[in-house]
Amino acid sequence: MADYSSLRKKNLLLAKRLVRESVNPDLFIINAVNNAEELQRVQNNLAKRLREWYSLYFPELDKKIQDHEEYITHVLKGDKHKLLKEWKVDECMGSELDKKELEGIRHLAESIRGLYEEEKRLVEYLEKTMKAYSPNLNTLAGAVIGAKLLRGAGSLRKLAMMRSSTIQLIGAEKALFRHIKTGAKPPKYGHLLQHPLVQRAKKDDRGRMARALADKIFVAVRIDYFKGEYKGDELLKEVEVKLR
Amino acid sequence: MMQQVKKFNVYERERDRRLLFTKNLTPGKSFFAEMLLKDRGAEYRAWDVSRSKLGAGIKKGASQIGIKEGDAVLYLGASHGFTPSYVSDMVGRDGFVFCLDFAPRVVRDLVFVCEERENMAPILADANQPESYKELVPAEVDVVFQDVAQKNQLGIFLKNCDSYLKTGGFGLLALKARSVDVTKKPREIFERVRKELEKHPGMTVVDYRDLYPFEKDHALFICKKK
Repeated sequence: MADYSSLRKKNLLLAKRLVRESVNPDLFIINAVNNAEELQRVQNNLAKRLREWYSLYFPELDKKIQDHEEYITHVLKGDKHKLLKEWKVDECMGSELDKKELEGIRHLAESIRGLYEEEKRLVEYLEKTMKAYSPNLNTLAGAVIGAKLLRGAGSLRKLAMMRSSTIQLIGAEKALFRHIKTGAKPPKYGHLLQHPLVQRAKKDDRGRMARALADKIFVAVRIDYFKGEYKGDELLKEVEVKLR
Repeated sequence: MMQQVKKFNVYERERDRRLLFTKNLTPGKSFFAEMLLKDRGAEYRAWDVSRSKLGAGIKKGASQIGIKEGDAVLYLGASHGFTPSYVSDMVGRDGFVFCLDFAPRVVRDLVFVCEERENMAPILADANQPESYKELVPAEVDVVFQDVAQKNQLGIFLKNCDSYLKTGGFGLLALKARSVDVTKKPREIFERVRKELEKHPGMTVVDYRDLYPFEKDHALFICKKK
């Protein structure tokens, strides 16, 4: 049996070096956007919990404010009697709680507010990084959607090698494979559905809009990857024309 | 009561339907939160076969796996090193496992396992390009094991067997039918792969196991190089 101990040493050193060298901006962006999504998930879950809990005290507020962040600022205002007047509730269904019980609710509300701040910081970071790393994609898709596309592809290089029809469907893999496997309806958009331009289009036009947008994103990403000039605004205008 | 499975360095107990055991090379250490247990003086590491295609193949009654004490194994698609750590138990102190994967993220975990086990080495390289790692592995190995879930996994396997497998050595291929073609029936793909393996000069298929219910749409092919 040959002695492989020197070969092993060499391989360990080499593997460590290669792992170290594999770190790149793509990974920063992917981790940041993963974290942002996770934060959103936790915010929503905790906010639901908070609504349930605070409703023991002031049930009417739950129905009056849909937005979680706004709801939290109201909870943190404290005294419900002022809130009652503000929202014109005459007969409150909630029971009176003492300070001790309210304290727990307030703490929860504060933590959730902290999570919202964390997410905002993260999105700011994403915007800055995306603007420096792939300015054209950032203008066309926006920082968060751009980052999600990048994550779906794996790296900017891989995204730049994709055709536009593939870009259009990043984020719709489940529906796509269901379509291929069983012949169900093909998806029209993945992450691009969240894009304001697609959102603003009429429902029947959304597929068309996503296709046009994917087209221009395709161009933008290639410019970014091959370090071309900034053309984001022109490209965006070319898509906006289609919105009618 | 531990009982040896055939002539392999693998053991089983009657009551564990999803577990195999190997003798632990690094007594007292477990790497993936697996159970360690003592039986007549030796320490065994539990091997959850629903996490390992090789283990599933053995549980499904593979007649031969080709991995013996003292073998040098080239393991393609090592990932975090779960199955490779058991292969390393099987080949023992005189054997060696070269663990290859091309994703830096999993090699990061793999390095930690390899540092603890003296008969394993991590390699970050693409199995599709056997020339690229010819200086990192010996010219001939006794066993090539592959589990890569790529579209051209058969091509990768044959290339590596041609380059590195010694005559009389074993090639083990864990095939994921869904990676080859999602639209075809897994059975058809298994049949086709089997025919192509037989057609390849120097290869004979010794055994083949569908890994259901441990893995869906996967099969383990055991080949020998003539």
